Amino acid sequence: MTREAAESIEDAVKSIIIAELRVDYSQLGPATHLMKDLGADSLDALNIALRLEERFRIKIPDDAIPRFLTVSDIVNGVNEHLSAQ
Amino acid sequence: MRRIAVTGIGIIAPTGVGRERVWEALAQGQSGISHIDDFDTSNLKTSIAGVCRDFHPEDFFDERELSRLDRVSQLSIAATAMAIREAGLTNGQLDSYDAGVYLGTGFGGQGSIEEFCGAFFANGRGRRSAIAIPKSMYNASSSNIAIRFKTRGPNITVTTACSSGANAIGQAFHLIRYGHAERMIAGGVDAPITPVVMDAWKEMRVLSTKNDPPERACKPFSANRDGFVLSEGAGIVVLEDLDTARERGAHIHAEVIGYGSTADASHITFPDPDGEAHAMSRALKDASVDAKEIDYINAHGTATKLNDASETEAIKRVFGSRAYEVPVNSIKSMLGHSMGAAGAIEFIATVLAIENQTIPPTINYEEQDPQCDLDYVTSGARTASRSTPISTAMSNSFGFGGNNAVLVARAFVQ
Repeated sequence: MTREAAESIEDAVKSIIIAELRVDYSQLGPATHLMKDLGADSLDALNIALRLEERFRIKIPDDAIPRFLTVSDIVNGVNEHLSAQ
Repeated sequence: MRRIAVTGIGIIAPTGVGRERVWEALAQGQSGISHIDDFDTSNLKTSIAGVCRDFHPEDFFDERELSRLDRVSQLSIAATAMAIREAGLTNGQLDSYDAGVYLGTGFGGQGSIEEFCGAFFANGRGRRSAIAIPKSMYNASSSNIAIRFKTRGPNITVTTACSSGANAIGQAFHLIRYGHAERMIAGGVDAPITPVVMDAWKEMRVLSTKNDPPERACKPFSANRDGFVLSEGAGIVVLEDLDTARERGAHIHAEVIGYGSTADASHITFPDPDGEAHAMSRALKDASVDAKEIDYINAHGTATKLNDASETEAIKRVFGSRAYEVPVNSIKSMLGHSMGAAGAIEFIATVLAIENQTIPPTINYEEQDPQCDLDYVTSGARTASRSTPISTAMSNSFGFGGNNAVLVARAFVQ
């Protein structure tokens, strides 16, 4: 994957998180924890997964969602699902 | 037996936000009905409703909270915040298993239900959401109130159509009276002004089609009435044991003294004066009050042909010849019919009528109907006098399904 493609996935993930959790871009770093740092709950996690599925046309398995804890977890997860397809 | 005080009032209505503003508009006979401009009404026969235009949710909630709360939850939480503030209660006084919430709603999170159904039926192309259920379920409002204000006692959503709010207050009143709770947040809420609901009511032919001017559409008890005007809103009261309220120096608006609830058990929409009359009689008995002690009746008064005639007949059955002497008004003439909120908003209006010694008018009355021949307070607000004080009053609410609820309130005298 090119560096541009990786960045665009990260940007897309961040924009979904920003829209769902109503947070600022500046609050998002790779290690930012959705629940501990941004106050998200399990319903937010499910909605973020739904938006990721729509955006990247992937199917995220139910058991993968609880592992989406930080921004980089999600970016890595999306990459794995994209490369698996 | 315990006496129950009303110590807090929170109200959001088409005429404004807050007790003082809403009361001022009622006493002045102002209508809150306007043209609908939130969605296309060109396929409807009715293009008017009672929208709470002065309610700005962003004054009460941040963006993230708004995304989680249907309008019905927004209205009920905001009204509850006002009621609690007015009651002078701190979080510590509410954070208790002895404080609960009984809330009436007829339509629940209807707006969200329509949004999510629309997404589902759009061939799966619509936006899916994990919060569809928690946002639209009927008990979302009462649960959100508990979550926000930490009331840990009984939390029950009452849904009896247009009498939901009155039944919720009545049930909460009994809960405290018989020692099952110390303090209750009680009332009603609805936000039913949606394209689907308007269309469904249209098919029942019960909405007024007198669209112009909107403020003159709703004509309770008038021979030329042609139906109700749909509206939205929230009415919340804080109820508590009178002695506790006095000890903590709370302002007491009035006492709730009686509640009667019946089912017509006859027809799903056609009203039965017998069921309505029995609800009134039972409320009087519950209050240990004789019919001749009632100084004012806040009617259900929807302005449908059937309701107003049936309610008038029911009042006559309970009050006999005195029916002609008791002032009867319908504030739906000004606020429209806010469904599950109506009974609570009208109970609040009854309490405020007692407190202010003024009966708001029934506006838009134009033609006498032989079936509706009581004193409907049709020429402006009426102020009490020494010979005609308003110390004990009744509020009627009758819902589709034949669900009747009647509340009796009395002036609090130190």
